[in-house]
Amino acid sequence: MVERIEDLNLPNAVIARLIKESLPDSASVSKEARGAIARAASVFAIFVTSSSTALAHKQNHKTITAKDILQTLTELDFESFVPSLTQDLEVYRKMVKDKKESKASKKDTSSSENANASSTAVVEEATE
Amino acid sequence: MGEPKIQTPVERAPNAETVLPLSRVRTIMKSSMDTGLITNEVLFLMTKCTELFVRHLAGEAYAEAFRQKPSETLKYEHLSQLVNKSKNLEFLLQIVPEKIRVHEFQEMLRLNRSAGSDDDDSESGSESDE
Repeated sequence: MVERIEDLNLPNAVIARLIKESLPDSASVSKEARGAIARAASVFAIFVTSSSTALAHKQNHKTITAKDILQTLTELDFESFVPSLTQDLEVYRKMVKDKKESKASKKDTSSSENANASSTAVVEEATE
Repeated sequence: MGEPKIQTPVERAPNAETVLPLSRVRTIMKSSMDTGLITNEVLFLMTKCTELFVRHLAGEAYAEAFRQKPSETLKYEHLSQLVNKSKNLEFLLQIVPEKIRVHEFQEMLRLNRSAGSDDDDSESGSESDE
C-alpha cells in the first residue's frame, strides 16, 4: 500500500498546468493555493473512490465500475461533471476498442477486415 | 511528463488523454479501498474526474475571488472561503481549513459564516455583503 504520505501527492507541475488552464491568462496562483488545490484533489479522489466502493458493495459488486463512479458523483453533488466525463469515457472506450482491433488485425493478417475485438469491455491488463 | 502532444485543451472537448499520471491516481485510489482490482476504465475515469475537479475548484475559487475584490492572484484564502460556503466541498473542510492571518479576512469570514448559517444554500451567491 502507501508507504509514504507523499505518495498520495499529485505532481505539482501538472496541477499547476490544470489550474492555469482554468483561469484567465492574466491570473496567477499563489504557491499556497496551488498546494491546497493539489491536496484537495487527492482527497477528492479518495473520497469519490471510497464512496463508489460503498455504492458497489451495496449492490453486491466487488469492484467499482465506471457507472458507480458517475452515480457517486451525482450523489455527491458533482453532477455537473457527469456529461463531460461520459463523453470522455465514450472516446476512451472507442480508443480501447480500436487499439484492440488493430492489434487483432496485426495478429492474423488474413482476417484484418473483420477483426472483431469480441469484448470491448474486457479489463485490460494493468499497465503501469 | 511534459509531452507537448496535448495542445490547446479546450474545456469541454472530450478526449481520452489524461494529464495526471494514472499510476499516481491508482496509488491514491488503492489507499482508500481494500478491493485491489481497479480496471483501466475506472482508473481513466477517476483521473479525468480528478482533473475536472482541479479545474472546477480553481475556476470557482477564482470567480469568487474576483467577485469580492478584483484580484489577479488566486490565494489560499479564496479556496478556504469557497470550501466554507459550498456544500459539495464539505469534505474538504479539514483539508483546506480557514487560516486567519489578516484582520480583513477575519471579518470577511464572519460575514460569510453568518450568511452561510442563515440559509444553507447560499451557494449560488445571494450575498449582500459587498
